[in-house]
Amino acid sequence: MAGTAGARVSLELSVRLPLARFALEVDVRLEGASVAVLGRSGSGKTSLLEILAGLRRGARGRVVVGGRVLLDSAAGVDMAPEARRMGYVPQDALLFPHLTAEQNVRYGARAGRPSRVEEAVALLELGPLLHRYPATLSGGEKQRVALARALATDPALLLLDEPLAALDVTLKERVLPYLLRVRDEARVPMLYVTHQLGEARVLAKEALLLEDGRVRAAGPASEVLGASARGLLASESEGEENILEGMLERPSEGGTRLRVTEGLSLWVPDAPELPPGTRAAYAVPAEDILLSMGPLSGVSARNVLAGTVVGVEGAGAGEAAATVDIAGTRWVVRLTEASVRELGVASGVRVHLAVKTAACRRLR
Amino acid sequence: MTDDTTGLVLFTVTVAAVATLIILPPGVAAAYALARWRGPGRGLVDTVLALPLVLPPTAVGLVLLELLGRNGPLGRLLDAVGVEVVFTPGAVVLASAVMAFPLLVRSARSGFEEVDPRLVAVARTLGDSRARAFFRVTLPLAWRGVAVGALLAFSRALGEFGATVLVAGNIPGRTQTLSLAIFQYTQLGQDAQALRLAGVAALLAFVAVYATEGLTRWRGRRVRA
Repeated sequence: MAGTAGARVSLELSVRLPLARFALEVDVRLEGASVAVLGRSGSGKTSLLEILAGLRRGARGRVVVGGRVLLDSAAGVDMAPEARRMGYVPQDALLFPHLTAEQNVRYGARAGRPSRVEEAVALLELGPLLHRYPATLSGGEKQRVALARALATDPALLLLDEPLAALDVTLKERVLPYLLRVRDEARVPMLYVTHQLGEARVLAKEALLLEDGRVRAAGPASEVLGASARGLLASESEGEENILEGMLERPSEGGTRLRVTEGLSLWVPDAPELPPGTRAAYAVPAEDILLSMGPLSGVSARNVLAGTVVGVEGAGAGEAAATVDIAGTRWVVRLTEASVRELGVASGVRVHLAVKTAACRRLR
Repeated sequence: MTDDTTGLVLFTVTVAAVATLIILPPGVAAAYALARWRGPGRGLVDTVLALPLVLPPTAVGLVLLELLGRNGPLGRLLDAVGVEVVFTPGAVVLASAVMAFPLLVRSARSGFEEVDPRLVAVARTLGDSRARAFFRVTLPLAWRGVAVGALLAFSRALGEFGATVLVAGNIPGRTQTLSLAIFQYTQLGQDAQALRLAGVAALLAFVAVYATEGLTRWRGRRVRA
């Protein structure tokens, strides 16, 4: 992954909030560069964001972001939402319907305070949308405006609630590539709720796994987003995908390749309209990858990648997921438990993955 | 139109406009509180506020008269500072205001209820205080409900009769409005005069209601995010 470390802001969360079915109890310390919060629906993810934003009454405990105490119920501190400098982006964008996209983006910019309006507009490519009202924007466009609106206030931390999961956002419109730019170019620390492992893997440096309001795992993303994460999200990890980010190349023999790392390049559907050097992100569904124990030849798939299995776990309903390391990147491949048994897929085994060019879908 | 009629129309419209302006701030505040308040007592407050809509207007007028008359509890206080309300133009405004208040509150309240409180929450995270968010998000999104309520209140005040006649009397040139004048002419058997004024009243009412309908339609057509 070519991303930079991004800015960080230390997070100290030690809170308790009674919810309908259980109490949310979180006690973690994070470096806070880019944190994914994962869990099933109703596990308390959104409530956690709302506590950080100051929108939840009744939360007890301590919330410290970058050394600023936002909540300390023992000391009687409960900072008002407007003083917290949290850039909140709700799942359904919640743009102000009576204002244009531009007025939405400028909403939080005030004289005498640092503003990042122009930067946010450029970064999220909102120029052509600025004069339009939210009702005329598509789901993905609304999310970009909401993201810019939060970013423009120069927040200490961006809080994103499933920014990638709103129902009316099509694959082409997904904001993931923009989030990568926000992370790497705007360098704003972010904490985002998702239930997509693929997204979390490409975006997060750290991860927090919630189950029924309790922390199941917290720490570096590479550790947290392994087996326990998939087990926890099993019922909702349908359509798991591998997300790859890199730079486009146009070799002399024709076609388009995505250079992910030194040792890994992928043929992707030809895109002559994109100049070489363009940064791009592609999604490859875990079930669209073929796993072979021996070297593959004479197959139609143009991408045949050699790697090592680093983990196999059941995904329920006779399905399994193998995690494969290829030149330092992690790939998830879906296969049946029968295949795992018959082929002897296990940690440490050398395998080859075949990925059809057409299975690589560009995000945006 | 004779000068007499012009005066009547001007007085009637002025009274209705002043009454509407006076109830606007407390009406909007009450509407907002009712739209957001989720605690106990809501039903009771709702009912009390709706009473002027369903009580005979003469009963409301009687209550006002008892309160504000020289021997009434409020009247005595006002008398002490040299203010007399009963049978003055002020009484006409007061009677109209009381009768129109519930209409304003009902419409404005439904306007406020349509505003997603989460939009206000977002405004807070963007740096707005509670009050600032009210004026930048809540009120602009609810304003059509408020405007329709104000127009309804104004229309109601234009035709007010029952409460007015009790607390302000029917004094030509002093407290007489269009509806009071129509009543007087019919009592005197001058049906032609009464009919002419009724026509003028119908015209005024038409304009006010047409404006209300226009606003309501605009509100319905409004695109939502």
